[in-house]
Amino acid sequence: MTVPNAEASFGLTEVEAGPAASTPGRGRVVRALLAKPQVVAAAGFLVLLVLLAVLAPVLTAIEGSGPNAFHSGAVDSDLGGMPIGAFGGVSGAHWFGVEPQTGRDIFARIVYGAQVSLTISLATTAVTTVVGVVLGTVAGYFGGVVDTVISRLMDILMAFPALIFMIAILSALPDGNRTLLLICVLSVFGWPYIARVIRGQTMSLRQREFVEAARVSGARLRHQLFAEVLPNLRGTIIVLATMAAPGYIGTEAALSFLGVGVVPPTPSWGQMIAASVNWFTVDPTYFLIPGAFLFLTVMSFIVIGDHAQKVLDGREA
Amino acid sequence: MINFYQLIYRTLTTFSSKKGEGSKVVPDLATDMGQSNADATVWTFHLKKNIYFSTGAPITSKDVKFGVERAFDPKLAVGAPYARLYLDAPKDYEGPYKSGDLSSIETPDDSTIVFHLNQSVPEFASALTEPVFTPFPDDPDTVTETSVDQKPVSSGPYEVKSYTQGSSIALVRNPYWKASTDSVRKAYPDKIDFTFGVDAATVDQRLISDQGKDVDTISGNSVLPSSLAKLQTPQLKSRVVEGESGCTTYLVMNTTKPGLNNVKVRQAISYAINKQQVVDAAGGNQLATITNTMLPSNTPGYQSFDLYPSKDSKGDPAKAKELLKAAGVSNLSLILDTRETDTMISQSEAIQQALAKVGITVKINQIDAASFYQTIGTTSEQHDMTVTGWCPDWASGSTFLPPLFQGSQIFSQGNSNVAQLNDPAVNAQIEKIEKMTDLTEANKAWSALDKQINELAPTVPLYYAKAVSLVGSNVGGAYSDPQRAGGVNFATVGLLDPSK
Repeated sequence: MTVPNAEASFGLTEVEAGPAASTPGRGRVVRALLAKPQVVAAAGFLVLLVLLAVLAPVLTAIEGSGPNAFHSGAVDSDLGGMPIGAFGGVSGAHWFGVEPQTGRDIFARIVYGAQVSLTISLATTAVTTVVGVVLGTVAGYFGGVVDTVISRLMDILMAFPALIFMIAILSALPDGNRTLLLICVLSVFGWPYIARVIRGQTMSLRQREFVEAARVSGARLRHQLFAEVLPNLRGTIIVLATMAAPGYIGTEAALSFLGVGVVPPTPSWGQMIAASVNWFTVDPTYFLIPGAFLFLTVMSFIVIGDHAQKVLDGREA
Repeated sequence: MINFYQLIYRTLTTFSSKKGEGSKVVPDLATDMGQSNADATVWTFHLKKNIYFSTGAPITSKDVKFGVERAFDPKLAVGAPYARLYLDAPKDYEGPYKSGDLSSIETPDDSTIVFHLNQSVPEFASALTEPVFTPFPDDPDTVTETSVDQKPVSSGPYEVKSYTQGSSIALVRNPYWKASTDSVRKAYPDKIDFTFGVDAATVDQRLISDQGKDVDTISGNSVLPSSLAKLQTPQLKSRVVEGESGCTTYLVMNTTKPGLNNVKVRQAISYAINKQQVVDAAGGNQLATITNTMLPSNTPGYQSFDLYPSKDSKGDPAKAKELLKAAGVSNLSLILDTRETDTMISQSEAIQQALAKVGITVKINQIDAASFYQTIGTTSEQHDMTVTGWCPDWASGSTFLPPLFQGSQIFSQGNSNVAQLNDPAVNAQIEKIEKMTDLTEANKAWSALDKQINELAPTVPLYYAKAVSLVGSNVGGAYSDPQRAGGVNFATVGLLDPSK
């Protein structure tokens, strides 16, 4: 289960007292992060991955194989469809080798799969963050009935065995646009994890003198929320979003692994890993490549999120 | 199924257990292949002597009759419907429990049985191999509608000692079975344990490792394509049993759908498919052989032909485009129903790729493996195309072509004519061949009909599935049998050293 449960770590996050200015400055945060080699490496990998995803059509054109084209010549039909050549058929024509049986190009499927993974995870992160922040702030700031309704909704959604429910929903729904469907389903179950933290933070911010001061001096509601409360949540939101993204990549891969993710022939890392399991002993490359990409992507996000949290907490830097 | 049933049940006739003769029908409980009248509508069989149930009671012609009558009960009507199709029974006959005696089966004495049929069936002796003709003690009070599931009365060399649904079956010897009455089964082991639900990759790995009790083990399924590469060492090769499964896998097109109702479009698709890619997706040349005919090559009277040739069976997109142009069809978009398993999805992707080359868009509609056959067999739920297979009940065109292509066999549910082909010429020819009493002529005619149907292209024959299985190092007498889906024949397999 990879829906991020950030609450435990963020329950402790203390917001700096005073108005927005006391949050560490943007430049300082970036500088502090870039001072760490592991963060630079992680960010570098993510930039590379985004480039691969964006340039997928160009790169596969250079390599010469689309993600769905079969290559009978690249597999040995007499050996159950084993790729011909060392390391799963790695060659100038197939940079990461080919899939057993079908002979589809693994490099092309990885980069097109990156598009799917990144689209789903980033879109879901955006949706859950916006919804989570809006509902969390509203619940925390207004309290009363509004808070009760939103909080109970969050409790219900968080109490659901989300993965089982997602599998059920996705297998029952008609095929349609699977990517959009996955974003919707992941978002429905994802937003409460952000909203809950934001709600708690907002509740404590509300009691702070600078917010009280703004309120008694007659500032409009919009000013109170956007000028006083929200800037103080900025750090938390950035960290929450960074930590949520790898969770969604993992969940999308898990759903595809279980056969309810994107529809074939759309490539997906989760599907590739699922298909490669039986081939692990005879063609380890087929398993290692999508596995490594999934691992590095999730780890990069976590490294960045982890360090961003430390910096923003002011424990370091 | 027959491979398991033959261990506990005997029928009047059954399939030979001689290597290479698996499709041949031989007498089992009967003394011979039966005598018929001139037009093959009345069949008489005599039972062997010294044949007993596991209860110790002798098997009589009344027990055979009772077993067949049971097949008419709607609650028990599973499996091939030959008893109901061929026997001259009243329309409302619903088995011995509801409707009592069936007058079209006569039992003049305890060892003679006479079947009266509603049509001429020259192959009736072959139909008797089907499990619906299994005898049960003629006693409706002890053998009830449900008792057989819980406590099967065995007539074969083994009886069921214990059964846990979905998990295991343990067979032990039936003490009343006499080897002298049975020319088919060897029944070497004293005890056979079946275990179900073991992951396929685990089965392969255990058989490759060959440790402990696994030396005495055989598998009911073919190995995974990913295991084939491991089987190349001489030690493992000597334990490999492989052969044809006797089944054909094909792409079937729903001839009632727009676009596919045009024979030119179907022919174009027949040209476009790259069969080598489909075979690779199915596990490569060891697990599949390309075919251009629907009938399996072990069918009597089989003739080979290739109406839509292409180099190395890799498809001819140019020819396909030409036909599509002639048909005036462009921007065709089709839905391909696909059974949700890795290899079926790969095969559908191969078809999708091949048709994309000629400008046909294919959308893969995945259907849960458990409900797939029900969905494609329901005319209101099936889509444009699907990949499925057919194994004839016995090697003959009569159990292959009519269920798949006869217009009168289109049913709204449980439909096997998935193409919904209803061609007057084909229908007439089927009726004509079914009346032929000369089997050699009939077999030739079935193969000619196969070609005639293929000209209409309701299906694209893709490959004959082959089975590759691995047996433990202490297993002897294992051979692949096409009538038993290419698996190891359970009736003749044994242990090389039973003391191990």
